[in-house]
Amino acid sequence: MAQMWITMGPQHPMTHGLWTLRVKVDGETVVDTEAELGYIHRGVEKICEARDFTQITPYCDRLCYVSAMTWANSYIYAAEDLLEADVPARAEYIRLISAEIQRLASHLMWLGAFGPDIGNLTLMTWCMRDREMFLDLLQELGGSRMHYNYPRIGGVKRDMPIGFADRVIAKTKLFEKRLDEYEMMLDESTIWLVRLQGVGYANAESMVDAGVSGPNVRAAGVNYDVRWAHPYSVYDEIDWEPSVEKPTSVKGADCYDRYRVRMEEMRQSCRMVLDALNKIPGGKNTNYANGDEMIYTKAPTRAPEGATGFSNYECTRGASQFYVQGGGEGRGKNPYRVSIRSPMFITIPYVAKTMIGYKIADIPAIMGSFDPCIGETDR
Amino acid sequence: MVGSITLEQNATAAASCMAAINDRFDGSGIETSVPSHSNDKKYAFVRIVCPPQHWIALSKWMKYDLGVNYCSMVTGTHFPEGSPERGWEVVYHFLRQPVQDQKPNTCTVHNVEALSGMDVPMEFEVLIPLPQGDSPTVPSIQSIWVGADWNEKETWDLVGIKFEGHVNMHRVLNPNDSPEGFHPLQKQHKLRYHDHNEMYDDPQGFMRKPADEGRIK
Repeated sequence: MAQMWITMGPQHPMTHGLWTLRVKVDGETVVDTEAELGYIHRGVEKICEARDFTQITPYCDRLCYVSAMTWANSYIYAAEDLLEADVPARAEYIRLISAEIQRLASHLMWLGAFGPDIGNLTLMTWCMRDREMFLDLLQELGGSRMHYNYPRIGGVKRDMPIGFADRVIAKTKLFEKRLDEYEMMLDESTIWLVRLQGVGYANAESMVDAGVSGPNVRAAGVNYDVRWAHPYSVYDEIDWEPSVEKPTSVKGADCYDRYRVRMEEMRQSCRMVLDALNKIPGGKNTNYANGDEMIYTKAPTRAPEGATGFSNYECTRGASQFYVQGGGEGRGKNPYRVSIRSPMFITIPYVAKTMIGYKIADIPAIMGSFDPCIGETDR
Repeated sequence: MVGSITLEQNATAAASCMAAINDRFDGSGIETSVPSHSNDKKYAFVRIVCPPQHWIALSKWMKYDLGVNYCSMVTGTHFPEGSPERGWEVVYHFLRQPVQDQKPNTCTVHNVEALSGMDVPMEFEVLIPLPQGDSPTVPSIQSIWVGADWNEKETWDLVGIKFEGHVNMHRVLNPNDSPEGFHPLQKQHKLRYHDHNEMYDDPQGFMRKPADEGRIK
């Protein structure tokens, strides 16, 4: 049978956003693929050059609309490296708590979108129900459901509201039970197992060589995690372990391993949030005023001549990195260049190549299991 | 509790990487230093300033002898008002990650406190200054790290750095039919704002909006 190219996307449920996967098929077998990105390129890096260091944070929120808090934090650490800002310990704890709640919300969005890919629509409704709990918590901190503009260079915008800690504890404990329910539904479902097991193999060394990071690599059996390898925030004081899977084949992790590793990661996030609330300096039921030295230290607004800032941050989809060049006096409060490294921009071309050899029907399962997000990919 | 890389592990690894590079590339014009980040934990990293003609030799050696297995980002910057020998700059960020393929049904759980030598994660920053001119060119490392492939495509697309030897270079973020030579992150392209030409000197545009004249902000 003749081989032919078919186009999946830009409007296709598999894409989880807006991009095109061109697939060359021989019958139903994929023999070659090409990824085409850039449909929602907004030029964030260029816009950032004309903004103050503080004005850039909202743009970083919008890089990934599913995981705004982690992206804003990622930028903030780079800006703090550039501007040499000090951060109070309580602010670091609050950032950690907010980032891990965001990780729960983001992974729930992934699971909720992944379920319908595989044919399980119940999962979508369950995940949206539980994600709402965490969006409510983040709304209490940042004032908005999805784009918070919450971290500040030198601290956080405001302290946790009174009663926030109790609600976090109640919701994470409830969610830990819900996770068991998810696993009861999924791990005993034949459809789920047949669609995921033995599909989409990717091994650890090839993923690292190709620039894939985060949970996708941990699914292949190595517990490498930016949070212990290049520590930021207060992860070294918190009780947690990186989630890691034992892949069943020499070919590496399959879609099922990548699903398992994210379920385990959600458990670890719950554990981190609960432990951080116990250890937070100043107490979990205290509310310091805006700008109090417990949560905010005034940072310089102008970058020193020739200084650069870099952050390597464990985002929900892998390592997100910012490289910020200050321009000295001539640039005032603006950076000279902001460069953003998005984990999914590197991962999507790699995933497109891992599909070769599988059937067309496996493409949604393989793509979905890597958790694509196009907002950060196209920037 | 997992523990994390301590400042001593980090400092020892950074110093030994720097010593190894200096030892191998002594006298070639490659300069190394070990600065520290100035944010929370003050971790050290290896900064390398490399002339473009030695870049391929250095990158191969970093990958195969220094264990640098992860090319994380490529940044191009345009300095039209810079010195004649630094009109452009390409900055590479690399990581060394202790990641190996696994046997079936096994996994590696690193004992972080016991990591030493080549297993300690390390961050590398390679700066390649390029002279002023219309065609900044640097050798491609696409064949050494697969991860450099799309990073280089993006840097050419947005900044216009040419990567010599890069196979299958094409637009990735800009539209495919963008005019040849259009690279929006070059500094001659100014941001436009309400018909006013550029907003570099006046980000909020306060001085440029006639309706705002005379009002107290």
